[in-house]
Amino acid sequence: MEFNAILETAENTAKIILSGELKASTAPTFKTEVEKAAATNPQRLVLVMKDLSYMASAGLRVLIFAKQKMGANVDIYIIAPQEMVMDTIKKTGFHHSVKIMDEYDNDKVEA
Amino acid sequence: MESIIVSGNLESLDVISDYVTTAAEKANLDSKKTYKLRLAVDEIATNIVIHGYQEAEIKGEILCKAEFSDTSLKIHLEDSGMQYDATQKEQPDDLYKPLEERNIGGLGIYLAINGVDKYIYERHGNSNLNIFIVNR
Repeated sequence: MEFNAILETAENTAKIILSGELKASTAPTFKTEVEKAAATNPQRLVLVMKDLSYMASAGLRVLIFAKQKMGANVDIYIIAPQEMVMDTIKKTGFHHSVKIMDEYDNDKVEA
Repeated sequence: MESIIVSGNLESLDVISDYVTTAAEKANLDSKKTYKLRLAVDEIATNIVIHGYQEAEIKGEILCKAEFSDTSLKIHLEDSGMQYDATQKEQPDDLYKPLEERNIGGLGIYLAINGVDKYIYERHGNSNLNIFIVNR
């Protein structure tokens, strides 16, 4: 499945909708969108992973890059990761540093 | 299953992944074992392309072969790039740390070695041989 990373920005929030396979050949596309997101100085980065079927370490490295680029105060939300993507997130301890949710509701997060 | 030989570049990684997934189906591995095996082979193949060939400015190929037994599926990856023994790399010791304090390397090898039942590296002359074994 073709990889896609679609960036949507609203006040304080940058959302990237990921689909397909995130791996060495597609991670640069994701990184480019993270850089564009960082340029808007968001308070939070929301990554929608519902349709992301595969994630290799190249994707994890972009998450580290995102946190280091945006700063520790910017919260990263991972929304609806598939079972095996979640397995990788847990195995590598990333679940301690990001917020994982089934769905993202900006109003509830703001509240 | 007949082996395949692909060029040592990033575009070849999908061909290797397809080969591994087909082998896993033939071995009747479940979807979780298949995903982890594909991930393990993909991580090491990515290292071969980036570190073994591209960064070392070496051109070469990767041979991929599946072997089936009653108890296991064995995937061989063979290349002629820079010597690279993943078993000698230290496992990341910062998995508990927040992302902003993490080192960016080492995660791929960690996922590869921990994603299969056995991982073996051998050096034969100018070739690297990586073997991934998954119990059926």
